[in-house]
Amino acid sequence: MSASAAQLKLAAVPEHGAAPDLNDLLVRVGRGDEVAFAAIYDALGSSVYGLARRVIRDPSRAEEVAQEVFIQVWQSAARFDPDRGNAKSWLLTLAHRRAVDAVRHDQAATNRENKYDWSNGPDFDEVEETVTISLEHEQVKRCLDGLTALQREAVNLAYYQGYTYAEVATALDANTATIKTRMRDGIVRLRDCMGVEA
Amino acid sequence: MSTDLHSLMAPYALDALDPDERDRFEAHLDQCVDCQVEMAGFMATAVRLGDAVGHTPPPALRDRLLAEISTTPQQRPIVTSLAERRGLRRTLPRLAMAAAFLIGAVGVGGYVSEHENAQDANSKNVAMSNVLGADDVTTESKAYESGSIKLYSSPSSDAAVIIAKGLPDPGKGKVYQVWMVKDATPTSQGTFSTGGEMIMKGVAGSDHVALTVEPEGGSDQPSSAPVAIIAV
Repeated sequence: MSASAAQLKLAAVPEHGAAPDLNDLLVRVGRGDEVAFAAIYDALGSSVYGLARRVIRDPSRAEEVAQEVFIQVWQSAARFDPDRGNAKSWLLTLAHRRAVDAVRHDQAATNRENKYDWSNGPDFDEVEETVTISLEHEQVKRCLDGLTALQREAVNLAYYQGYTYAEVATALDANTATIKTRMRDGIVRLRDCMGVEA
Repeated sequence: MSTDLHSLMAPYALDALDPDERDRFEAHLDQCVDCQVEMAGFMATAVRLGDAVGHTPPPALRDRLLAEISTTPQQRPIVTSLAERRGLRRTLPRLAMAAAFLIGAVGVGGYVSEHENAQDANSKNVAMSNVLGADDVTTESKAYESGSIKLYSSPSSDAAVIIAKGLPDPGKGKVYQVWMVKDATPTSQGTFSTGGEMIMKGVAGSDHVALTVEPEGGSDQPSSAPVAIIAV
């Protein structure tokens, strides 16, 4: 897609859920404001819990992780610098990192118990279908649809399943250099398709 | 051939690195300004992926959280020193270059020295990336409550990179000083406050790297017991 087409597209799509005062709220949380914390939770609780659930799948484990994320937000909000990022990105980045760490930790425990083998891992077709159907954000869905199959698979397995790129390579029977390149091409295409400015 | 750290940009943004690679990549990212600019776009893209899968949490979660925070202590803000705020220019190269051109219009000397600093910074970054991406790089680290010190050594490069983040405040008028200790003789490698990174050349044969708290500006010899000792 050309840059101007991407811009037209961006102009046509209202910014999704960008509450302008989340940064202020998070700064107030950093000063111990419990009311501001509740407001942050009400604004971003479903994003954080939804992301944890997508990656971890087990609802009660996802709830635990969402709780850890918000406790960490409470503890470290004073370190949030609104000049260097926005509150929503900060929280979702934190939530994703925690969810991925949790799912890998649990997986490692399962491996020790069951001598888990990658060939017994989730069937890829099933994975992709679930992700695509449940995406609530039309734009993201459309942009994911615009990727090549291998780009989409690599992004899905890494971001929504918590696979390392080496695990993605094994699951897709490709070499790691190829997977890294597909991830890069995929994320660049998504960025341009979504009109992300940076 | 060593790992091309740049190829880890997209996997990092998707959280698809294992913990060791993540640490090495973050160390590289800390001092690669071009990477930071591109990474901002990648991270923003990943956030959009994350924001697309919302799901209403169970109502009890909200109640539990509000009860828990009322008894949970909070971290305090990090107070940056003047030296660190100066260090911010490193992460704002375009502003620095623009400023250099403005100075250049008034006096050429200003521009030349800025330009040389940029070249120094660039060759330092290249040297650091070479160590961080070397095949034989080994990592030693020490964790602190809200930060860490990591030492990356590469025998083939005969160099090591030390990266400190979020260390406890060394106190008013104090800095951390890094020493390379060879045959029980410490050689100063430089100072930083609560965070920074530096490259050390000629590490072959050294015993360890030590960190002491010294008066601002550093000391000729360590004046206090080390707060950290890291094997090379």
